[in-house]
Amino acid sequence: MAHPAHYREAHPLVFVITHWINLISMVALACSGFYIHYPFFSGFMGVARGMHFFFMYVLIINLTLRIVLAFFVKSATVLGSREVDTDIKNWLPQKANVHQFGAWIKYYTFFKKDHPLGAKYGVLQKGSYILTVPLTFLMAYTGFCIYSPVMDWGFFQAGLNLVNGPMNMRIIHYFCMWVFIIFTAIHAYLANVEGVAPSRLIFAWKEEEGLHFDADGNPAGGKSH
Amino acid sequence: MARVVVDPLTRIEGHLRVEVEVNGGEVTDAWVSGTLYRGMEKVVQGRDPQDAFYISQRICGVCPISHGHASTMSAEAAMGISIPEGARLVRNIIEGAQFLHSHILWFYTLAALDYVDPVKALEANVADTYALAQAAGTGACDFGAVKDRLAGLVNNGQLSIFSNGWFGHPDYAADMPAELHLIAVAHYLEALQIQAEAAQVIGIMGGKFPHFMTSINGGTSFVPTEEKLDDVLFRLLKINNWVKNTMIPDTLAIAPFYKDALGFGGGTGKFLAWGVFNDPSFDLTSRYLPGGAILDGLKVEDPDPAKVTEYVEHSWYDNAESNLHPSEGEANAKYTEYNTDDKYSWGKAVRYDEQPTEVGPLSRMLIAYLRGVEPVQDLIDGTLSALGAAGKPEVLVSLLGRVAARNLETAYVGDLTVGWVTEVIEAMKGGSVDLFTEHEIKDGSGYGLWEAPRGSVGHWMTVKGGKIDRYNVVAPTTWDIAPRDRDGVRGPMEEALIGTPVSDVEKPMNVCRVARSFDP
Amino acid sequence: MAHEDHGAVYDLLKSRGVSRRDFLKYCGSLAAMLGLSEAMVPQMVAAVESGTKLQPALWLNGGSCSGCTESIAQVDTPDVASIVLDLLSINYFETIMMAQGDDAEKAAEETIKEGGYILIYEGSVMTGQDGNALVINGRKSTEILAEAAAGAAAVLAVGSCAVDGGWVAAAPNPAGAIGVQEFLTDEGISTPVINLPTCPVNPEWIVAMVVDVLLLGKLADGSILDELDDFGRPKLIYGQSIHDNCPRRGHFENGEFVYQFGSEEEKKGYCLYPLGCKGPQTFTNCPIVRWNSRSGWCIEAGSPCIGCGSANPTKHGGNWVDVGTPFLNRHRDLPLGGLGNTAPGTVAGVVGGVAGAALVAHGVGMKVAGRMDGGADYEPMKAHDAKKMKKGGGE
Ligand code: HEM
Ligand code: HEM
Ligand code: SF4
Ligand code: SF4
Repeated sequence: MAHPAHYREAHPLVFVITHWINLISMVALACSGFYIHYPFFSGFMGVARGMHFFFMYVLIINLTLRIVLAFFVKSATVLGSREVDTDIKNWLPQKANVHQFGAWIKYYTFFKKDHPLGAKYGVLQKGSYILTVPLTFLMAYTGFCIYSPVMDWGFFQAGLNLVNGPMNMRIIHYFCMWVFIIFTAIHAYLANVEGVAPSRLIFAWKEEEGLHFDADGNPAGGKSH
Repeated sequence: MARVVVDPLTRIEGHLRVEVEVNGGEVTDAWVSGTLYRGMEKVVQGRDPQDAFYISQRICGVCPISHGHASTMSAEAAMGISIPEGARLVRNIIEGAQFLHSHILWFYTLAALDYVDPVKALEANVADTYALAQAAGTGACDFGAVKDRLAGLVNNGQLSIFSNGWFGHPDYAADMPAELHLIAVAHYLEALQIQAEAAQVIGIMGGKFPHFMTSINGGTSFVPTEEKLDDVLFRLLKINNWVKNTMIPDTLAIAPFYKDALGFGGGTGKFLAWGVFNDPSFDLTSRYLPGGAILDGLKVEDPDPAKVTEYVEHSWYDNAESNLHPSEGEANAKYTEYNTDDKYSWGKAVRYDEQPTEVGPLSRMLIAYLRGVEPVQDLIDGTLSALGAAGKPEVLVSLLGRVAARNLETAYVGDLTVGWVTEVIEAMKGGSVDLFTEHEIKDGSGYGLWEAPRGSVGHWMTVKGGKIDRYNVVAPTTWDIAPRDRDGVRGPMEEALIGTPVSDVEKPMNVCRVARSFDP
Repeated sequence: MAHEDHGAVYDLLKSRGVSRRDFLKYCGSLAAMLGLSEAMVPQMVAAVESGTKLQPALWLNGGSCSGCTESIAQVDTPDVASIVLDLLSINYFETIMMAQGDDAEKAAEETIKEGGYILIYEGSVMTGQDGNALVINGRKSTEILAEAAAGAAAVLAVGSCAVDGGWVAAAPNPAGAIGVQEFLTDEGISTPVINLPTCPVNPEWIVAMVVDVLLLGKLADGSILDELDDFGRPKLIYGQSIHDNCPRRGHFENGEFVYQFGSEEEKKGYCLYPLGCKGPQTFTNCPIVRWNSRSGWCIEAGSPCIGCGSANPTKHGGNWVDVGTPFLNRHRDLPLGGLGNTAPGTVAGVVGGVAGAALVAHGVGMKVAGRMDGGADYEPMKAHDAKKMKKGGGE
């Protein structure tokens, strides 16, 4: 039994913060959105809409910021290493992610016993991070399409026309909420299934010792449990 | 022998073609064709039981209220829901308002031009017109202004909706004074406002007219308040007053000039009504205008919805079977060609007990008369004496009788509607009015039988898995404009046209009169 | 042409028994109705007085229920008599015209020959049964429309049916109903179309268009077309949602809702949102102009809006029935073109349930495999590199 060290270089502080903001706004948006879809109890619509409109901007600005920062902030190239490179390179699929695709799948379907070595994050995990971006933008697009101050802009009108109007767009937005919730569940599962160390790092920025890897993701010593 | 075609027959709801054979100045055969197919029943299938109310009332923009009510009733019957007293009254008031609206619109806007020549009205002497109005006991208004407006219209040549009318037609009663023509034209304009006020009652209680919003399964979503009821009552009293003091006197003033219309246009002599305006028992035969069937002489029997069947031999459907009950029938639309010897209509030949039965105000009023509904008996007896036919209700089975029955029904319904509003007000005094029964969507089958101003309407619904599985409508006009059945027996309007005098085959005025008298 | 050259429209009105005082009052009420300032009245008067003759028009019924005709008969400022006698010369109007049969058709023919008319079309365009779903006077209604539209100055498609087929075009669209705009595009007819959806059309909007054309000269200078949105609807009328202008909006924001007909909340006039009100997604000014001479409108009478003004003239499937049913529900299915309907809640529930179950099962597997705490032991070298080595590759 062994797992990699979790060093702060893997998630520089700004990303810990952006992740927190992501999490909070998603929870706020999902709860308020769910209420807007059907107000299960009375007295909350004004607040729910206020929350939704506030956090939708927070979410979009935060995500945009996260992407921009990826080009400037350096983060660890792999877990269990303090060697860093521009974050975007570690965020997009790395060479080893591509090569190890089969190995990861085999591992998760129990056809492979030992834990694959990889680049930063497992392949599935990385896939789910990257999916966050288009999914959030889809959420934002479908959301703005039913947001009366902007819905008559040509950009949104085109989408409305495509799906035959706001009645359908509203349902698509609602549907996407479910996709997002399912996606987040998978993401949280994958991130934590092998122990809470990753969560302690991303939420509390706490380090934990463990296996050490070089910048290419090959074992380079370190403590084992 | 000549074939004469009127297509389109205007001043009706929808699209109708009337073709007749004329021999020796008289119609000897007739074919009536509904020329539009839309297939509403298929649109409703698979949707929620409540959705049928919104969609199916759009079959007809002139009687949406009746279709809407029949649809809601069919859903309620299918799911075993009963409605509270308050909802019964609200529905009666809304339906009553539509009757008022529809009958006023029919008599003045649609039918009057068959009996009143606007050009003849120009010869009227304004002072004499006032005198005549007073003598006839009908409403006076600014007859001079109406005459000027009419003159302006005729003189400048842009006739708008009067373009190509049959002015000066010999079938206009030659002895009817110009002053009476002017009175009728003035009331033609006034009626436009009065019918709109009737529609406003529906605007208040139903959200809008045509196509109202408030008849939901289990009751109504209209919540009566003092100020709304006051708006309703005020309008109904005004309309009621107008009907009694203008519309009925106009009818009685004009009718004597068209007494020949007692001699043709009668038709099959067989009548059907499902009845309309529920009393607390919700029984078809105790409705304010009760249900009934007249199949043999002037005798009423109780109506049986199981006896309705539809033939398609002369309609553009290629169904495997014909003569089926509407809830079993299918509708496979398949246009072939217009051929009076074969298929010639989108309308199916709907029959009651395999016989062509007329529906509409004449049918309802006769049934109410025979069932002993007192106010109806008083109205009819009074009119019969005025026409010099006291004690002979059978003379009403004619063109003139059909027109008169509709106008008398307007007077009856006007009183009833005012009465129901008063009942709601009384109920509110005593506390609250129940308007809705909570319920769940259940599977089952049911039907709603009701009356539109123009005749009997039935909706049949089957709910399966919470959705509409089958939906069928027998619309009022379908009864009257029915084509021939399998044995070649003519439909009610076709039959009524037989024997109609035609003075000018280019302009068969009487044919139009008879066809329009059904308010198709 | 007997009526070529007569004086100003005002003279015409005068000759029709309308006094100058009445006329000014009438212009004033029109201005108020349009939300124009009283200061516009002299300008409107001038516009009318310089006119030459009544604007000719044709009102054709396609696959209609005559409800839009009924609707225009309810208008009171001006009333329908003024519209058909003093403002427009509607030479063909099936439901109320005096003439019938061939004589009626002749009135239409003559108007088409003269040109310069406005075509008002009510009802859907019936293309089903090869155009035989509606035949008038021996001609397919589609043929009649094509001819009348080609010669018109503009087409007013009144009511949702004329805009995109309306309920008649709702799945499975048994009679092949489509909207006027689509039909004209298919036929290559370029006459501009102004779309006025709702079922039926609200008569105030027809009057607004008549006023735009007659009093403000907006058709002559083309400006009427600049004021249309992407769906050919006048922005002034269709620019805001029912929800934006609904008198119950305060209750919506307060979260005061009617959850059940017959409830105390219903009596208090709370917001109908949970009962499926389509006001937030429906764009018309119903709450402002209201219906039946302002006597009421849907939500005031206690009914949720069913979105009868939703229409998409550029595309199939946007008719108000297909996008709005089930009318009294907030939840609804998502139509997937020809593939039927999906219920997002159900699909999400099923997919979510499956995903959740899979995660749990997987988690159990991970536990059993002993991978839960810290994961399995790491492979000594990447599987990819190992494979390469076996093949004799590698550096
Ligand atoms: C990211 C940008 C987002 C934007 C711009 C946005 C915008 C909107 C808007 C304008 C509404 C309509 C509210 C109203 O008019 O009262 C809405 C409703 C809703 N939103 Fe969002 N939203 C966003 C993200 C999300 C997210 C992330 C979720 C859930 C995970 C979500 C779930 C919902 C739901 C369920 C509704 C109710 C839809 C309905 O009417 O059934 N939204 N959103
Ligand atoms: C239940 C909620 C969540 C939990 C428990 C959770 C947990 C985690 C953990 C443990 C990591 C680090 C993974 C690793 O280092 O291997 C992580 C990373 C990440 N999570 Fe989440 N997460 C949650 C919700 C979200 C949501 C809602 C989003 C997106 C909208 C999101 C986006 C990300 C991204 C993009 C990363 C990569 C880290 C970075 O930003 O650089 N997470 N999450
Ligand atoms: S009733 Fe409908 S339109 Fe009015 S506020 Fe509520 S949701 Fe909006
Ligand atoms: S309020 Fe809604 S349902 Fe009522 S007319 Fe307007 S768009 Fe149609």
